[in-house]
Amino acid sequence: MEEEKPTEGPLTKPCVKCRAQEATLESRTHAVCRNCFTKFIAGKCIKQIGLLGKETRHPQSTAGGPPNTTRRYLLGLSLGVSSTVLLHLLNENIEFQLAKGRNAPFELRVVHIDNAILHKPQTIFSPTQQALSRLVRRYPRFQFQCIPLSSVLTDLDLTSLPLPPGTSQSIRTLLTTLPTAASREDILRLLTRQALISLARTQHCQALLLGHSTTALAELTLAETAKGRGYALPWLINDGPAPSHPDDEEEEEEVVVVTNGAGNDKPSLLIYHPLRDALRKELVTYARLIDPPLTELAVTGADGHQNGAPAVVSHRDLTIEEVMDRYFAEVEENYPSVVANVARTTGKLVRAGEEARGGGEGGGERCGLCGMPLDEIGDERWRGELGLGTGIKTADGQGRLCYGCERSTAG
Amino acid sequence: MAPALCANCMTERAVIKRPKNHAKLCKACFITVFEDEVHHTITSSQLFYPGEKVAIGASGGKDSTVLASVLKTLNERHGYGLELVLLSIDEGIKGYRDDSLETVKRNAVQYDMPLKVVGYDELYGWTMDQVVETIGKKGNCTYCGVFRRQALDRGAKMLGIKHVVTGHNADDVAETVLMNLLRGDLARLSRSTSIVTGDSRSEVKRSKPLKYSYEKEIVLYAHHKKLDYFSTECIYSPEAFRGSARGLIKQLERVRPTAILDIVRSGEDMARLVPGESSSSCACRGQNTGAFASAEDDIGGCGSQNGRTAGNEMAVMDKQLRDNEAHEGLETDVAKTMAESKQRGHGQQVKLGLRSENGAPHGVTRQILGNCKRCGYMSSQEICQACMLLEGLNKNRAKIQI
Repeated sequence: MEEEKPTEGPLTKPCVKCRAQEATLESRTHAVCRNCFTKFIAGKCIKQIGLLGKETRHPQSTAGGPPNTTRRYLLGLSLGVSSTVLLHLLNENIEFQLAKGRNAPFELRVVHIDNAILHKPQTIFSPTQQALSRLVRRYPRFQFQCIPLSSVLTDLDLTSLPLPPGTSQSIRTLLTTLPTAASREDILRLLTRQALISLARTQHCQALLLGHSTTALAELTLAETAKGRGYALPWLINDGPAPSHPDDEEEEEEVVVVTNGAGNDKPSLLIYHPLRDALRKELVTYARLIDPPLTELAVTGADGHQNGAPAVVSHRDLTIEEVMDRYFAEVEENYPSVVANVARTTGKLVRAGEEARGGGEGGGERCGLCGMPLDEIGDERWRGELGLGTGIKTADGQGRLCYGCERSTAG
Repeated sequence: MAPALCANCMTERAVIKRPKNHAKLCKACFITVFEDEVHHTITSSQLFYPGEKVAIGASGGKDSTVLASVLKTLNERHGYGLELVLLSIDEGIKGYRDDSLETVKRNAVQYDMPLKVVGYDELYGWTMDQVVETIGKKGNCTYCGVFRRQALDRGAKMLGIKHVVTGHNADDVAETVLMNLLRGDLARLSRSTSIVTGDSRSEVKRSKPLKYSYEKEIVLYAHHKKLDYFSTECIYSPEAFRGSARGLIKQLERVRPTAILDIVRSGEDMARLVPGESSSSCACRGQNTGAFASAEDDIGGCGSQNGRTAGNEMAVMDKQLRDNEAHEGLETDVAKTMAESKQRGHGQQVKLGLRSENGAPHGVTRQILGNCKRCGYMSSQEICQACMLLEGLNKNRAKIQI
């Protein structure tokens, strides 16, 4: 891509922002130049990173003393376009600060959760490994990790799951026994997310960064709604503390403490989506504009969104995420602000079960699979509405499942 | 291969694959199971009390016909002790309601229920034909829509009935949930999912006993019970958001049949997470954005949305949101910044600026719901929208007569 220089003479279509260069792109109905477009996207990200920076300021440093710990963030890298763009922007941000003679604003660890658990073990020649090594070469500053899903969630309690008796209680067994592609995708995504949260905790990070674009958040909103997980939505969409894990309270006392402002000084991990204000199509454009293009770095299809519209397959093999992906690709094209509004609206919902978290009255019960607060009200009644009859498969084990996980594991 | 046996009775041949969960059932078992589930809904939500007089909003379509049939069956089987009445609305458009009203009249005989047809002329003093005569063909949909929203309540009041049941099904509710997510309307999302609408203030309570029944099963039930209903293409074209949500639901249902109920469940759960609506003890109802919203305005069904928007609703909203974004850069919203920083701290936000129907983004967050001074219908204004429209119409009529 050739660098645009300020051209001599009158421009045929000047950029509405700088008025100095030819507008070659469209950004939210404005004709802009390449420079202004990339600045616009970077600005969206930097704004969120700035907000996060304030949230993760070490308590002691606010009291006037020098900060004794640098901020440490974990980036969940799916190798899709969005998370690759986020990686690039974070690197740019650090370079910018260093060039000004300041300290790096944060330390970043990059983790790719290898969830190809049903396939053969990854070889060095696999697309994933190749993509990772390309990224390692391009961003040598960061520490990259590729961790198989099963090796993170070793202590996952599978007793609440309807696994066939006699089989090994492993994630692999769980996934192979799930009846549909939609269920597998749902559970796999949940577990990947949990693995990232768990890693961020054990590696003493203050925040987990995810690459979701506005479009991805809107898709997530409607997909989770369609899977009966509406109750957990505020935990999944909003920036803020991750749901606490029962074990954390004892073990992780020495973790860098982040006060979550709610009055209690419990350690908590923050989950942030720094690209929440950018549309997916904007990120794709951005990835193309960067030199050399980021599109060559991302593994297409890795995040399930860049599949070049595969031929219509049987509905049996479709996942709910794919349905949403197709739907929002269309909405994003024609009504981008509607997409942005979906995520914004969901952000206003209150997080349920939060009282239980800080309350200490035994706390609310949590789902044995996704770790979200259980909805105490009405599960039994819903069996009736679903026509399941009572107690057909009530797990009498210790763990209970939330409605969404029950639906997914039942098919 | 031997024919599959019914999963329920294990004796009859299975002829139906339930759309809800793909269970294979015989005809008799399907009908029983369908009725049992509606009974479950009625008892678990405590919809009725013994001796209650209940009006069934009957359009002659499949939903209300199935509702009437099922309620009659259950009323007799389980001894609800209900007094059931069919209530139909005639907009007064020549030729438009003829066929469906004939169906309702036959239903009244078949189910041995009294039928009351109330016309717009009785309720408002105007038929739609007269309205069109006065104000012309343009914009008369607004009148019809506003009038229709109150018609069932007003009709029930005339009959001295305090409870109207409507045939809204799970598909309708799921559609409304997705639609309100798409247009960012949490207040409506919250209201539209509850099985009973209208609180202590309203004189007529409304409920939807088929809220958890799949549209496809309603059709199957009507087919196998050989019910007499009027099936026609609805002449009203769904507004963009609803149409968009409907298409999406159909696709989701194909991927996972339970998706429709899962959406309803999500909607109900999210309703409890809407700030200000979560605790039932709070009587302020701060989020009610409009007079009619509190009743039944958002649920699908023929015509209920008619006239509110032209087909380009999504485009209009997109443009409006975009304009808001453009203006955002020019002003500093101090309250919003504070709220945002608060939200980051707590992970929740207490107050909401909700978009009202005509788009004022932060305008009416604290409307107090009262009653219309003229007709007593729920309204946040002194005079409800229907009475306002009537006032305009009546002024016109006076002039014409002079």
